[in-house]
Amino acid sequence: MANLPDEEFMERISDAVELTESESAPARLKAKVYSALMLRLAETGPLMSLSETNARGHKLCVFEELVRIAPVGEGAKSLNICRLCHARVLAEQIENAPIYWNGCSYVDLKNS
Amino acid sequence: MNCLGPQTSDQPQTTSSMGSEDSALVAAVLRKDRKATAEFVARYADDLYRYVRSRLAPRYDQVDDLVQEVFLAAWEKLNHYRGTGPLQAWVMGIARHKVEDHYRARLRAPESIEDADQEPSSPASVSDFHQLLEQDELRKNTWRVMGGLPEQYRLALIWRYWEKASAREMALKTGKTEKGIERLLARARAEFRERWDHGQSS
Repeated sequence: MANLPDEEFMERISDAVELTESESAPARLKAKVYSALMLRLAETGPLMSLSETNARGHKLCVFEELVRIAPVGEGAKSLNICRLCHARVLAEQIENAPIYWNGCSYVDLKNS
Repeated sequence: MNCLGPQTSDQPQTTSSMGSEDSALVAAVLRKDRKATAEFVARYADDLYRYVRSRLAPRYDQVDDLVQEVFLAAWEKLNHYRGTGPLQAWVMGIARHKVEDHYRARLRAPESIEDADQEPSSPASVSDFHQLLEQDELRKNTWRVMGGLPEQYRLALIWRYWEKASAREMALKTGKTEKGIERLLARARAEFRERWDHGQSS
């Protein structure tokens, strides 16, 4: 090995060693990515309304459920209400954020 | 985390059931289903993170931004996903392009590394390659050496030897000449080799 030409040396190293990582994505990163996606989705028009989201069998968090049953139009139920939620802020800033609400996407991402 | 409804059987997933699940997830994300979007992130974040991290090591400061870029690019192109292959492979393909874009941008930047004279190594016996180093030691040494290399050298080597890009492809994508890429690779290999040998002797 010591006397191999550099080119062959590199070929052999790259064949023998896979540059892999075993670490999982930090929960904070998942939260930030999800927030960025939701922001982009919301910029291009209304989100699927919480009524329809619920009808499709998804669990909603307590805040989403409150909006879903509130006497407001579907437009309000299609807003990106997570943008206003402290769970989002905590999830984006703290790796093991103290958020536990059932049905919260940020909690689900933390536990994924 | 599964936002696409309960599994209907305990049977292992077949390729077609995975394909239909992928297509269902894509359709739901395109309909701006917030829970499906969370599922999309949860499903691929770990794989993407590991891949991007391994290709940018040890400069981890840009990993998060690149992972986010991959997701945003994937979402923008999601309506082009035809379901002919696994969604995971499709997403990883986007990640590879993004990593290449990163390499391209970094290698286009003016080099901050001084040219070194190349002394070609003399060819010799290679039969003892696998006997000289155990796999684990080989891996550790590779990471050690990679970690100490100037960024342009490291990225050029990973792009050429781990991503298997040819010097011609690298030249086309960076706007450099093929000769220029060959020279960069030669310097990078020599530097890698020197650090490797130094580590062996110390």
